Amino acid sequence: MSDIKPADINILRAKGEESLYPDRPKIGISMASCGLAAGAGKILETIEGELKNLDLDWIVTKTGCPGFCQKEPLLYYHAPGKEKIYFGELTEKKAKDLVKELSENTVDRDFATWKIMSDVTIDDKTLFISEETEIEDIPLYQEYDFFKKQHKIALRNCGFIDPQSIEEYIAKGGYAAFQKALKMKPDEVIDFIKKSGLRGRGGGGFPTGLKWELCSKEDSDIKYIICNADEGDPGAYMDRSILEGDPHSIIEGMLIGAYGIGSNEGYIYVRAEYPLAIELLDIAVQQARENGFLGANILNSGFSFDINLAYGAGAFVCGEETALIASIEGRPVEPRIRPPFPSQSGLWEKPTNINNVETWANVPPIILKGHDWYSSLGTETSKGTKVFSLVGKINNTGLVEVPMGITLREIIYDVGGGIIDNKKFKAIQTGGPSGGCLPESHIDLPVDYESLKEAGSIMGSGGMIVVDEDTCIVDLAKFFIDFTRDESCGKCVSCRDGLDACHEILNKITEGKSALEDLDYLEELGQSIVDFSMCGLGTTAPNPVLTTLRYFKDEYIAHIEKKECSAKVCKALITYEIIKDNCVGCQACARLCPENAIKGQKDKVHKINQELCIKCGVCFDTCRYDAILIRSGDK
Amino acid sequence: MVNITINDQEYDIEEGKTILEAAQAMGLEIPTLCYHKALSPYGACRLCTVEIELNGRTMYQASCQYLVEEGMNIQTESERVVNGRKKMIELLLARAPEAEDILDLAYKYGVKDTRFLKEFDDVCILCGLCIRVCHDRMGFKAIEFINRGIERKVSLPFEDFHEVCRTCGSCSTYCPTGAKAVQLENLTHHTPRPILSEFDQGLATRPAVYTPFPQAVPKIPVIDRNNCIHFQTGECKICQDVCEPDAINYEQEDEIVEREVGAIVVTTGFDPFDPNRLPQYGYGKYPNVITSLEFERISSASGPTEGEIIFPGVTEIKSAAILHCIGSRDENTNRYCSRLCCMNALKAANLIRDKLPDSHVYEFYIDIRAAGKGYEEYYQKMLRSDIRIIRGKVAEITNIPDLPEDEGRLTVVAEDTLLGAILRVPVDLVILMVGIEPKKDARDLAHILHLPCTEEGFYNEKHPKLAPTETVIEGIHVAGACQFPKDVPDSVAQGESAAAAVLSKIARGEYITEPTKAEIVDDHCSGCRNCIGLCPYLAISFDEEEEIAKIDSALCQGCGVCVASCPSGAIIHRGYTDKQIFAEIEGVLER
Amino acid sequence: MVVTDEKTIENTDWEPRIVGFLCRWCSYAGADLAGISRLDYPPNSIFIKVPCTGRVDPTFVLKAFADGADAVFISGCHLGDCHYIEGNYKTMRRFEILKETLKQLGIHERRFQLTWISASEAQKLKEFLTSMTSSIKELGPIQLPILAPLQKEDKQDD
Repeated sequence: MSDIKPADINILRAKGEESLYPDRPKIGISMASCGLAAGAGKILETIEGELKNLDLDWIVTKTGCPGFCQKEPLLYYHAPGKEKIYFGELTEKKAKDLVKELSENTVDRDFATWKIMSDVTIDDKTLFISEETEIEDIPLYQEYDFFKKQHKIALRNCGFIDPQSIEEYIAKGGYAAFQKALKMKPDEVIDFIKKSGLRGRGGGGFPTGLKWELCSKEDSDIKYIICNADEGDPGAYMDRSILEGDPHSIIEGMLIGAYGIGSNEGYIYVRAEYPLAIELLDIAVQQARENGFLGANILNSGFSFDINLAYGAGAFVCGEETALIASIEGRPVEPRIRPPFPSQSGLWEKPTNINNVETWANVPPIILKGHDWYSSLGTETSKGTKVFSLVGKINNTGLVEVPMGITLREIIYDVGGGIIDNKKFKAIQTGGPSGGCLPESHIDLPVDYESLKEAGSIMGSGGMIVVDEDTCIVDLAKFFIDFTRDESCGKCVSCRDGLDACHEILNKITEGKSALEDLDYLEELGQSIVDFSMCGLGTTAPNPVLTTLRYFKDEYIAHIEKKECSAKVCKALITYEIIKDNCVGCQACARLCPENAIKGQKDKVHKINQELCIKCGVCFDTCRYDAILIRSGDK
Repeated sequence: MVNITINDQEYDIEEGKTILEAAQAMGLEIPTLCYHKALSPYGACRLCTVEIELNGRTMYQASCQYLVEEGMNIQTESERVVNGRKKMIELLLARAPEAEDILDLAYKYGVKDTRFLKEFDDVCILCGLCIRVCHDRMGFKAIEFINRGIERKVSLPFEDFHEVCRTCGSCSTYCPTGAKAVQLENLTHHTPRPILSEFDQGLATRPAVYTPFPQAVPKIPVIDRNNCIHFQTGECKICQDVCEPDAINYEQEDEIVEREVGAIVVTTGFDPFDPNRLPQYGYGKYPNVITSLEFERISSASGPTEGEIIFPGVTEIKSAAILHCIGSRDENTNRYCSRLCCMNALKAANLIRDKLPDSHVYEFYIDIRAAGKGYEEYYQKMLRSDIRIIRGKVAEITNIPDLPEDEGRLTVVAEDTLLGAILRVPVDLVILMVGIEPKKDARDLAHILHLPCTEEGFYNEKHPKLAPTETVIEGIHVAGACQFPKDVPDSVAQGESAAAAVLSKIARGEYITEPTKAEIVDDHCSGCRNCIGLCPYLAISFDEEEEIAKIDSALCQGCGVCVASCPSGAIIHRGYTDKQIFAEIEGVLER
Repeated sequence: MVVTDEKTIENTDWEPRIVGFLCRWCSYAGADLAGISRLDYPPNSIFIKVPCTGRVDPTFVLKAFADGADAVFISGCHLGDCHYIEGNYKTMRRFEILKETLKQLGIHERRFQLTWISASEAQKLKEFLTSMTSSIKELGPIQLPILAPLQKEDKQDD
C-alpha cells in the first residue's frame, strides 16, 4: 500500500479539476439507474456517434443523477469559460440535433432547462466562474423552481462528477474532511458530530454522534462499522442515487466514523437489486485502496481501515440493524431483541456501528464546514438537511434535499410543482411502508422527526408519495400492508399473521363485504401489532392503516356503508356504464373488451353486460367520446 | 440486584434475569407458548409481552427476552397488554385451532373464535421450539425456518430428507400443538424407534429419563444411557437445566458395591412364560392376543390406556377369551402348575365384564385351582355370573372366521371336554395366562452361590418342611417365586419367614458351625504342602516356624479333599475319620 | 502275574454287593429323594455318605474291594455344581488313576464307576443303579487273587 502524501493528493486534485473542467467542450450524461431507465444509454450512443460524425473532439462523461428525475434523460454541456447548461427530457433525435446545434451555437433556448454559472467546492475553492453566457434567459440553477428551496449536502456531488473518478471527487473537496479529521483526536471527531446534531437518516433518527460514542466506549479490540445500503422502501431511492452518483462520499464518511470509533474494518451492505451501485462501489473501494485511502497506515497516520462489500438478497427486513448483521454473518434473516444493541454486540458479536448511506454522506461536509454551519440548518431538534424521494401524482418527481423544518406545502407545491393536472391534493405518504398518510389539514406541517411522529407518521428513510383524489385511500393502505406482509421475516406472530389479518380485513372493505365494527377491530389490531412486535418493521407496519383510519375514516365508512369508492379504484365497488348521450357507437370499446361484455351495433348506443364485465377499464381508456361512466355508490 | 415493580409490587431481582424469569420466580404467571426454560428465548409468540414503564417511557416488550433494569415498572396484565394478547391468541388460533395449549389460553382470555382461519392444513404456529431444541440442544441442525412472512415454515435442508436428522424426536416432543405440526415421518426417512416402557409391557413409550415403575425403590428417575442423546453425542443436557435441585449427574457410573454380610436372602423372582413358544395362539401375530401382564397394564387406571380396554385396529370388544395354563401343566413347555394364573384369570374376566358390561367372556381351563383363602368363594361367585367357564384346552387362535360377519375378528378353537364338543368362538380379545418360569439367569446365580436347583431352575430350599427358606448353603436363604411359583400372599409369607430366620441367627451374636472339619495332627505332618494348594477355601496355611501346615477351622468347610490327599495321613476329618469310614465299609460288607 | 476277573457263576442265588460313596449334598440327597419318591431300584447297593466325593480316599475303594465288594461307585454333584466349589474335579482326576491301578490288579473297569447325580435326579440314580447292578451281575462275583484283609492303621487315637 502506497503511503500517500498530501502532495500526492494535490496532484490527484489537479487531475480531477482538469477532468471536471477540461479545456475542451464537455458533455456529461446522467447515467444513474433513473437515467438509464429513461433511455440514457441510447442517448450516450447517439451523442458519441454524432460527435464522431461531426468530427468533434469533445469529452463525454457519465455522471450520477442530479436529482430531477422528471427531466431524465438529462445531460449538461459545458464549454471552457462558459456556463454549464442542462438539457432535459431528451430523445435520440433531440440529442442528435443538440450536438449539431451546440457545435454551431444555434441552440434553441426553450430546449435548455437551467444553467450553472459557477462551481465552488465544499472547501470553498472556486472551480469555475462563468463570465459570459452562451444562451440568455435560461433560469439559473439556484433560481430554478425545483432547486430553489433545496440545499444539497448529501447529494452535493451527485450529477456533477463522474462516480468512477476518485480524482473528480477529490477535486470537489473530497477526502479533505478525512484529512482534517485525522488531525483531530478520535473523541474530538465524535464530539464534533454530536455537536452538529446529525441524526440517523435511515429512519430511526437516533443521534449519530451518540451512537458513535456508545460504540467507541465499548472495550473491544475489534469493532466494525457498517454502511446500511439496503434501501427497500417502495418508491424511495435516495441511497441508490448517492451510491451511484458519489460513492466516495460514503467511503470518506465511513473513514471518519471508523477513525472516531476506533474500527479497522467496515462493511457496506448493499442490496443485490442495485447492480450498478455495486459495480460503482466496487470500483470506488478499489480506487480508494489504490490511492492509499483504505488499507494499512492510511496517510501515514497509523490508522488502518478497509471496507468489504456484502450483498443482500433483497429482503426488506435486512434494513433492520440486527437482521442486517445476521445476513452478513450468513444466518437466516431475523431481527433479534435489543439490548444488546449492535454497539455492544453486533457483527460477529463485536461492537458494531451501523449508519445508513445518507448519514455517512453527511459526515464529510460537517467535518469540513463545521458543526455550527450544519446545526444552523434545520429546526431545534432536527438539524441539517434531508433527502426526500418525491414521487406520486406530482409534477416534479425526483430526489430533493431540503433543510429540515420546511413545510410539506413547500415541498409539494414549490419544489414539487403541485399536483399533476391541477387535481386535488388528497394525502402525502411519508416514511415508506412504515410511515403514515397525512391529509391536507397537515400540509403546513414542518418536516422534522418530531412533528411527523406526532402526526402519526415518521420521517423514515425519506420516501414521499403524493396522492391525489384519484387514489383510494383504503387501497393505498392495502398496498402498503401487502408490502410489509410480504416482507415480514415471519418471526413474530403479531407481524406475520397480524399484517395478514389486516390485509384480509382491508380486502373485505375494498370488496364491500365488511361491516362498520371491522374498523374498530382493525384499529385495535393495528395497535396490538405495534405494541407486540419486536423490530422496527412490525412496530411501524400498521402506520399506513392507523393514520388513514385517523384522517380518512369517512372514506373507509363510505366503502362499508355506501359501498362507494370515491376514487373509483376498488373494482368490487364500481360499475362501468355507457352514457347514452355521448356514445356514438364506434365499437372501439366493444372490440377491445377482453370479456366481450360490450354489445352494440355500429352507430347505435352500446351496452355493457355487468355480469361479464371484469372492470378492467379498457373501455374507459379507449373511448374518445367520454361515453363511459364509472359509477361507485351514489356517484 | 435491581429493584423493579411488577403489578404494583416491588421486587429485588438478580441482575441479568429476564422479566419472565423474574416474574416466574415470584410466582406470577405470564402466558407464553414459545418459551422453554432449557432453550434460548426467541420471542416468536409475543404472548409474554408486558407493559414496561422506564424513565418516563412506556414500552411493550416480550418479557422472555427483555432483561430487568433498575426502576422498571411492569404491568403484566394492563388493558393494552390483554387486548394485544387476545389478538395474538386469535391469530394463533387461526393456525392451530385445535391445539390444546392455545385453546386453554383462548378460554382464559375469553377468546371464543378466530376470524382468520387459515386454509392450509399446517397447524404450525412457528414458535421455533423444535428448531431451537434441534440446534441448541441436540446439535443436529436438521430443521430450520424457510421462506419469510406468511410463507414461513419449518423445513429440512433443501426441503428433502437428510441424514442430519437423527430421528431423536425432540422436535415433536417440544411442539406446543401436541406434535401435530412436527411429525417425524415428514422429517426423516428413518423409522422412528420409540422407547418402549418396560413397565407398561411395551404398550406405551417412555422418555430416556424415567422412573422405572411407580413403586420403584428408591423412587428416583434414572437415565437410560442407551437412549439418552447426551450419552450418544454429548449434547442436550436439558434435564440438568430443568432440574431445580440440580440433581442430575452425568458422571455417575454404575458401581459394584462390596458389602460383607452375614446372610443373603435370594428373592430374584421369575420370568413370565414367553408365549411366542406356542405359535398356535398367534401371540405377536394378532395385536389383540395379549398376555396376562399386558392386560394388567391395559386394565390399570394408571396404564397406557388409562384403564380403557382398547387396541389399535379393534373397534369394539364384543367378546373376549381367557386361556389358562399357557406354559404351565404342559408336556411341551413346563409340567408344573404356576399356581396363580387361575385366580388371575378369574379376576381378568371380572374386570372385562366390569368395564365392558355388554361383552361376553370365555374362560378356557384345564382345572380350576382355587386353593387359598377366599379363592374358592371367588370362583363360585364367578361360576354364578354369566362368564362362560369352559373346561378344555384351546387348540388354536385363528383369524379365519366361520361366518362372514366375523371378518376381522379372531376365532378360538377348543374342545369342551365336559360336553365333548368342538367349539369355535369368535372373539375380539384373547388373554394368555402365561405361566411362571425361573429367571433366565437363575442358574448363573446358582453357580455363584452354590445353590442347588430343581430341574427347571427354581432354587431348592434345604427342607420343604423343616427349613423352607434355608438352603444347603449356610447363611443363604430363598424366598418368593425364585424358589417356586407363588402368589403375592405366599411370597410375602416366605419373605418374612426368611427375614426372621436370618435375624434370629444375627441376633444370636455368635455363629455355630458344623463340627465336621479337617484338622492336622502336627506330629504327623511332613510339611510337604500338598494340601495347601488343594483347599478351595484357602483355609490351610504353612507355618514357617514349625514347618507344618495349619488349618483355620473357621474357614474350613469340611469337604475333606485335603484329608484324602495327605500322603502322610496327617489330616483327620472330624465326623468322617478314615477309621469311621473303614468301619462303615466293614459294616456294610459284613456277611 | 495278572489275574483276570473271570465270570464264574456257581450259585444262581448270588447277588452282587456294591458299595457307593455318595456326596452328602447332591447324590445322597438324590437318593433321599428316590426314597421319598418311592422309586424302585435294586437293593444291591449300599451307600456311604461322604461330605464330598473329594473326601473319597483311594484306600476307601481298596478297602471296599478287599472286604468283598463286587463293585464300587462314586457319585457326586455335577461338574460345576460342587458344594465345595471344585471337590468333584479332584475326584474325577483321582478316579482315572485309581481305575488304571485297579485294572492292573485285575479288577474289571466296569466294577469301579464314577457318576454325577444331583439332588433332584432321583430318576437318574435309579437308572444308574439298575444298569450297574445288571452289569455286575453279568460279570459275576469278584475273584481277587489275594484276599488278605487290607488293614489300614488308624493314626487317630480315639
